[in-house]
Amino acid sequence: MPKVTIAQNILAANDTIAHEIQQSLAVRGIRTINIMSSPGAGKTTLLERTIERLHGYRGYRGQLGIGVIEGDVETSADAERIEAAGAETVQINTRGACHLEAHMIRDALAEIDLARIGLLVIENIGNLVCPSAWNLGEDLRVVVVSTTEGDDKPAKYPQMFAVSQVMIVNKLDLLPLNLRCCIRARLNDEVNR
Amino acid sequence: MHELAIAQSILEIVETRAAEYHATHVKGVRLRIGEAIGIVTDSLTFCFEMLTSLDPILAGAYLRIDIVPHRARCCHCAKEFPVVNFVTRCPLCEEWSNEIVCSTELQILEMEIESS
Repeated sequence: MPKVTIAQNILAANDTIAHEIQQSLAVRGIRTINIMSSPGAGKTTLLERTIERLHGYRGYRGQLGIGVIEGDVETSADAERIEAAGAETVQINTRGACHLEAHMIRDALAEIDLARIGLLVIENIGNLVCPSAWNLGEDLRVVVVSTTEGDDKPAKYPQMFAVSQVMIVNKLDLLPLNLRCCIRARLNDEVNR
Repeated sequence: MHELAIAQSILEIVETRAAEYHATHVKGVRLRIGEAIGIVTDSLTFCFEMLTSLDPILAGAYLRIDIVPHRARCCHCAKEFPVVNFVTRCPLCEEWSNEIVCSTELQILEMEIESS
């Protein structure tokens, strides 16, 4: 019974496309950020505020044009918010898939005028597990965690935090409230026991 | 949760290579997967069996998975140490700065085939 050596990366097809994306964006001087978090951590709001703040920013190449690829399982609600904030936006609906893959980004990029942007932001599907495994051709991976999720997320979802270069802690204003909730939950535990 | 997508990628590669070798049947596939890559091997095996059962060339194929342990090397004292639960702190000098030695593998090593 012959054995055939394959020695190939399982996600080689995805990595090849991701590499092509990275190359084509790099030659145009476009920097790319892949933002990931659990659902409701505040990725879209963070992006809205960032785009609004960068609106008046002028770099050496003039005003910074921002393109956003919005990943969601369903609806175009987030893309509408981002577009209203002033970025060129493409919505990807995965119809159930739990992460974005490089070929989805390649197709979405065909709908963006790359000559007009200097920054591309990919908002991944809200999920702390699957998006960590798929390279999208980004320069930087950013993970957003919010205080309301509790402080155990990096320990519970280590891959996501291991592959990211930046972590943003969001909803700091809710920290006092969250602590009270934690104490209350602990009290309830003791009462129920 | 993305084990199904991984299993589909494995099948695509194996089907292509099986056709190249004019295989009539693929008896099994061997993988090498790093501990740090976050793949649930039971789930991957389940997805693999589900997909191969629909494919006449791959029906009944076994899946063997070699796990590569998570190891890192300290950038200060150069000690190589096993990483447990992603805590990459050097056990010798207690520094956090290190490089991953192995465990990010996600590869198909080989397949066993029957050909006419």
